[in-house]
Amino acid sequence: MTAVSGSHRIVERIVLGCLGVLFAAMAATAYGYGLKDRLGPGSGFFPFWLGVIGTVLTVSLLVLSLRGGSIGEGGEAAWPNRAGAVRAVTLFAGLVAAALVFEPLGFRLTAFAFTALLLVALGVRRPVVIALFALISGFGLFHVFYYWLKVPLPFGALGF
Amino acid sequence: MDSLPHLLSGFAAAMSPANLAYAFAGCLFGTLIGVLPGVGPAAGTAILIPLTFKLDPTGAIIMLAAIYYGAMYGGTITSVLINVPGEAASVITCIDGHQMAKQGRGGTALGIAAIGSFIGGMAATIALVLVAPPLAKFALSFGPPEFFALMLLGLCLVSGLAGRSLSAALMMTMLGLLVSMIGIDPVRGAPRFAFGIADLYDGLGIVPVVMGLYGIAEILITAERPVQEIIRTKFSGLLPSRDEWRRSWGAIARGTGIGFFLGLIPGIGSIVPTFMAYIAEKRISKTPERFGKGAIEGVAAPETANNAYANAAMVPFLTLGIPSSPTIAVLMGAFIINGLTPGPFLFQERPDLVWTVIASFFIGNLLLLILNLPLVGLWAKILHVPFKYLAVGILLLCIMGAYSLQQSAFDVWVMIGCGVVGYLLRKLDLPLAPLVLGLILGPALEKSMRTSLEMSAGDFSIFATRPLCLGLLIAAGVVVVGAAFKLAPRQLRDSEAQV
Repeated sequence: MTAVSGSHRIVERIVLGCLGVLFAAMAATAYGYGLKDRLGPGSGFFPFWLGVIGTVLTVSLLVLSLRGGSIGEGGEAAWPNRAGAVRAVTLFAGLVAAALVFEPLGFRLTAFAFTALLLVALGVRRPVVIALFALISGFGLFHVFYYWLKVPLPFGALGF
Repeated sequence: MDSLPHLLSGFAAAMSPANLAYAFAGCLFGTLIGVLPGVGPAAGTAILIPLTFKLDPTGAIIMLAAIYYGAMYGGTITSVLINVPGEAASVITCIDGHQMAKQGRGGTALGIAAIGSFIGGMAATIALVLVAPPLAKFALSFGPPEFFALMLLGLCLVSGLAGRSLSAALMMTMLGLLVSMIGIDPVRGAPRFAFGIADLYDGLGIVPVVMGLYGIAEILITAERPVQEIIRTKFSGLLPSRDEWRRSWGAIARGTGIGFFLGLIPGIGSIVPTFMAYIAEKRISKTPERFGKGAIEGVAAPETANNAYANAAMVPFLTLGIPSSPTIAVLMGAFIINGLTPGPFLFQERPDLVWTVIASFFIGNLLLLILNLPLVGLWAKILHVPFKYLAVGILLLCIMGAYSLQQSAFDVWVMIGCGVVGYLLRKLDLPLAPLVLGLILGPALEKSMRTSLEMSAGDFSIFATRPLCLGLLIAAGVVVVGAAFKLAPRQLRDSEAQV
């Protein structure tokens, strides 16, 4: 793993910028809810001041970052190498895909496909292992959680 | 000694076959979750909440509490065998625990960790029995201003001790508090920051947020790392030798004291007690040069402090309703899911539940010892399962856990979004604990502040005219000013900076 300080700085400033905008937007929205009402502080009072303080803190950290200071806890961020990044992105893409098809396909088919495809993408090349693991993930987990533990899980359009 | 009859009836209930089974299952799953790389106790407890859906509230809380302290112990195994802490509190155990494993004494390291955890946990639970009832009784006299000041103090402690950068920690607290404002206004009942999206009317659930921030983010970060080498060690000699016992007993006693007293302070976090216990041992040792090279006290003290802290942190949680760590925040979420509100009224309204849960802590600690000494070899074998299989399984459990809370795909998306946020915040070295505690305390903090101001017709002097409230606010101010001027002991700050 290597620390890429230039990229790190860019990410740091983008994140701080987004946080600053979020705090400011929430403060502005909260102002609209009213800072006072006839009983005392209004619905917007608390979030308004949180937003204002958050904006001030974010701007101060952004200024610190622009001056080359460290905004975090002083540790060195370890950004991944190419292989590590591919593994993480693969897992994340699988997660997003599963979330998209979870309800339309149902838990069992989603879990089966999620497990099988991710294992292949992560470099597992033994079909029996993949099939076994996918079956356990899809149908075994469903049985345990849905029937034994009564955890509500979705059925898809195909009835799975 | 009003507590004794309650405790005895608690034991009677906790020792029912069903509750024993829940405690056993909780310890088992908790240790498993702690062992898995990439899943700490906070995410682990959140992921396993669906396991308790079918249970009655008492059984559910017993199981989740057992998962919590099982996971706290499970993290030790990865610290010792692969030099990767399963959770943040085990960071310090890596130093000497891993060295012991390299010297072929991994079994002894895990053995003394299990014994120390048991002693620390039992002692802290006895102290909990003694301290909690009078504290809960005292807390009944608190009004909204005192609760506001107390929660503010907890948040200031989290921010002040969260690391070297006070501004960053405060910013994360503000973010957590602000995110907690999404949903229905707790005083007026009007929606805020929902922008017409029905799913946002209930706000963002603590469980999917924690799953994302700690679970998904940690899985992604672990997936990036190269494969860790696992030390193959003997598990036949789990019990320490006579000389190792002689070295360990004092460390265990001091670790218990440090863990318990720091556990009573809301917001201190689980890392500080372990570092303080380690530093104390090194300072008083006649041979400090052994530390870092496999000193058994370097494992015994922090592991004992860790479990003593975990049990002591239940005091502010059960009596005041203030979670000390993200994991306890998840536990608080589980209480709320089961229709229970932790705090002084819980002792009054549901003494049966509170005392059964407390009795289950004793049983759980014993089960953990019984489970961990003989099964330590099995736990170590789990570490040999390639991470790709574990990651896929854990992600699937995360999806299932997030969805099943409200049968809502929205919660799955919240979890994924928080996973991205958690990943970036971890990479930028920004502390997550203040965010999570801000999120869970936000609604109660706002409600107590606004109710206080309604009591005084908008006059802020209400916070200054009540002595206890004023004292707590001054303490909160001292914590923030102290952190701003770096007045906290250097070791304390450095330890938290390694979260």
